[in-house]
Amino acid sequence: MATISINQLHMDDLPWIIEYDETKCIQCGKCSASCSFNAIKPVVEKRRKPSNGLQKPAFENILVIKQNVSFENHCRGCGMCSRVCPNGAIKAIRNPNDRYSVRYRAAKGDSLKKGGRSNLNTEGRTLDKIKIGRISQMTDPSLDAARHKFELRTPFGRILSADKLSFENKDGKMQLSSQLPPNRWIYPIIMGDMSIGAISWRMWEAMAVATAYLNEVMGIPVRMCTGEGGIPVRLLKSKYVKYMILQIASGHFGWNRIIQAMPDMVEDPAGILIKIGQGAKPGDGGLLMASKVAKYVQEIRGVPRADLLSPPTHQGLYSIEESVQKMFLSMNAAFNFKVPVAIKVAASVTSVSVYNNLLRDPYNIVGGFFIDGLAAGTGAAHEISLNHTGHPITSKLRDCYLAAVHQGRQGEIPLFAGGGLGQTGSFAADAFKLICLGANGVFTGRLLLEIAGCIGNDTGKCNACNTGLCPAGLATQDVCLTKRLDIDVAAQNIVNYFLATDMELKKLMGPVGNSTLPIGRSDALITVDKHVANRLDIQYVC
Amino acid sequence: MTKEEIYIKTLEDNKRMSTQELLQLITSKINEGYTNFKIDGCGQHNIGGSSWAKDRNEELTFRITNPGQRAGAMALAGTNIYIDGSAPADVGWLNSGAKIVVNGDCGDTAAHCAAGGKIYVSGRVGTRSGALMKHDPKFESPEFWVLKNTGSFGFEFMGGGIAVICGYDCDNINSVLGNRSCVGMVGGTIYVRGKIEDIADCVDIQSLCDDDINFLSSGLKEFLKEINQNNLYNELTIWNEWKKIVPLPDNKKEKNISVAQFRKTAWVENGIFGDFIQDDYKVYNLAATGEGRIRIPAWENNNCIDCKICLNNCPQNAIGNENKIYFSDSEKCIGCGICEAVCPKKCWEMISNRKEIS
Repeated sequence: MATISINQLHMDDLPWIIEYDETKCIQCGKCSASCSFNAIKPVVEKRRKPSNGLQKPAFENILVIKQNVSFENHCRGCGMCSRVCPNGAIKAIRNPNDRYSVRYRAAKGDSLKKGGRSNLNTEGRTLDKIKIGRISQMTDPSLDAARHKFELRTPFGRILSADKLSFENKDGKMQLSSQLPPNRWIYPIIMGDMSIGAISWRMWEAMAVATAYLNEVMGIPVRMCTGEGGIPVRLLKSKYVKYMILQIASGHFGWNRIIQAMPDMVEDPAGILIKIGQGAKPGDGGLLMASKVAKYVQEIRGVPRADLLSPPTHQGLYSIEESVQKMFLSMNAAFNFKVPVAIKVAASVTSVSVYNNLLRDPYNIVGGFFIDGLAAGTGAAHEISLNHTGHPITSKLRDCYLAAVHQGRQGEIPLFAGGGLGQTGSFAADAFKLICLGANGVFTGRLLLEIAGCIGNDTGKCNACNTGLCPAGLATQDVCLTKRLDIDVAAQNIVNYFLATDMELKKLMGPVGNSTLPIGRSDALITVDKHVANRLDIQYVC
Repeated sequence: MTKEEIYIKTLEDNKRMSTQELLQLITSKINEGYTNFKIDGCGQHNIGGSSWAKDRNEELTFRITNPGQRAGAMALAGTNIYIDGSAPADVGWLNSGAKIVVNGDCGDTAAHCAAGGKIYVSGRVGTRSGALMKHDPKFESPEFWVLKNTGSFGFEFMGGGIAVICGYDCDNINSVLGNRSCVGMVGGTIYVRGKIEDIADCVDIQSLCDDDINFLSSGLKEFLKEINQNNLYNELTIWNEWKKIVPLPDNKKEKNISVAQFRKTAWVENGIFGDFIQDDYKVYNLAATGEGRIRIPAWENNNCIDCKICLNNCPQNAIGNENKIYFSDSEKCIGCGICEAVCPKKCWEMISNRKEIS
């Protein structure tokens, strides 16, 4: 139906326009069949044949593919149509005249929601302005990345400074007189942190399988964070829970089942991550749209089908000190002080204050500080949060590290950085640079989706995770769509990506001559950007 | 031409001859026709290397004590070097054909990059010995014989040649090749007698075959004669104490099980969601039929005129009719919606096939 009134939504208002070439189309119907957003459909178009002057003009009906114009069913640019089209007759083209966000707010009186990523991407990435410029040449030998043995593990858990270790002399032997805080030496990349519900059961299980495989078959001690959407009891009671970092966020979803499973757990989990905030929508709570609250999600989380909004704060916490007391102490206590407990916050101007405060940690129970930058992904968020709140990860990670250095306490509470890593193609380079700037390790979630098949990008392609209509079967609970995802291929791809990243990390460690992680080796980094050099305290070069 | 041996004492009246002075003196004497040298060294480097007799048919012989580093480095065929006592690093580095006999131990990187000749050592050799040895097929294979053991990281990146490590006097040593030897080894053969451990996983450790035994029997005789240890022959020729190390052929490289196999065999049975979800792990195509359809057509007789437009336009030939009742075969239909589009009476309607797992 053609637009008649100026206030009716029109194709030109939408973010994507379908470019369709009817001369190439064989009307196989695959494009419309594959479109999870119901954004295109076959229609019969009436066409006028010009009159030859003797007769009245005639009309003919032809079958064409047209795009739907509505707030609910419109093209997200995912490109499934062009994937299935045998003739290249159809594709989604970005609309430079897009007025969708204006029209949506004006029509609905509601904030605009999106999934996936921030889509403004206006600043460029600091990490891309940094190079590894301190290469071991004649000064000290570089290491052969392909053959040298590297130690990539990093501590997860509280590290006590030497003066806090309490030794006693027992029968002429030096012994520790008190228990050390729990600590795990793990691979410096933690995966996941995406909840059951936000992502499909197949994707979640694929990550868990990949994690177990990397550990058991490849000997790479990768840990997976569960996200906060509960954890399947079968996993909790299996030996593989030792590779899982259980998350607790403000919603506390699924923790009753975790507590109930405790007596039957055969292994301790790898750790606990208290999520205070996330980089993609800092200061805003979790959001799981009702369309994704499938029955099993309702069960695991103990909620009915509804839009699930986690509060932006833990409601029982009012201060940093209280969070240490209540959350850290309780989580440590829950696992008998044998499991490291860390905390995740969105990068913020205030992150350093928090970290400084945690560093005082009188009980030695703060096992890690995770900082999540603004380029992080999310299953669903208000666009206003996604595009306009947050703090880049790089300088914040650096600030925290240097804050610890100035107290001589670096490394005591391991720092983990994340948020949009791998965005421009090289995850290993991002990880390495952040490690050189002071991170003990990094974490990634969205990249795993991309490895498994997500076709979204940072310039507005798809990013419809919030709709529950993920065309790749990742961020959906719909059976037809979830079953597009091959769990084994997804898991294998994650494994392969980790193996490639492992090689690439070594390719960077070799040249700087480190056989262990170069944590804080900012002398290895250079930049041609003076501001970046000044801010991060790394060498300016030109 | 003179066979007279030149004796060079490099330390006199507390004055040490520099490496340059010594090597230039040797060169000038060679140019005068001398071929035999006895050198009491004082740590001068590169003795015996890159030299050849004035008459190219003749051989050069150096008898050396107390050499510096790189004794016999870059030495050519026709050079014989006898070192009485131990020698520091890089003995026979880039050896290109000389015979070098060390009656003692060698420092690190002995035989490094050796590509010809024979190096005989009556004692132990240091780390990274034999690294990058190689064999140019136009020349004879280099050989590197060590009576005792090597330090760690030996034979890294070895590309060719033969090394024989006899493991004599090594009872208290865990590994006669030290730790992490053979990393990156792609060619050549190492024969080793005695305990070995922590060898790189790119190599295959095999038992000896007849050819190996033949080679070692004759080679050992020659070696033991050069180092004056003929009496050890019987002790060293108990062949089941020997192993042979070669690069692992591609077809023997261990392949890990796939992730799919891992999930099916080692993972939590029926999946971690098994108590909620009966997942058959089937994978749907993007334009799937049957249950994989996002939308399915429903027909309702809405004054159907039996025009068969839907039937004839269905790209999947999924529509059939009987007595003016139209139906769609779910095994063929992909849910494209063409039937809905073309029906003049709007009998077909596409309805969502969205459902959740149970």
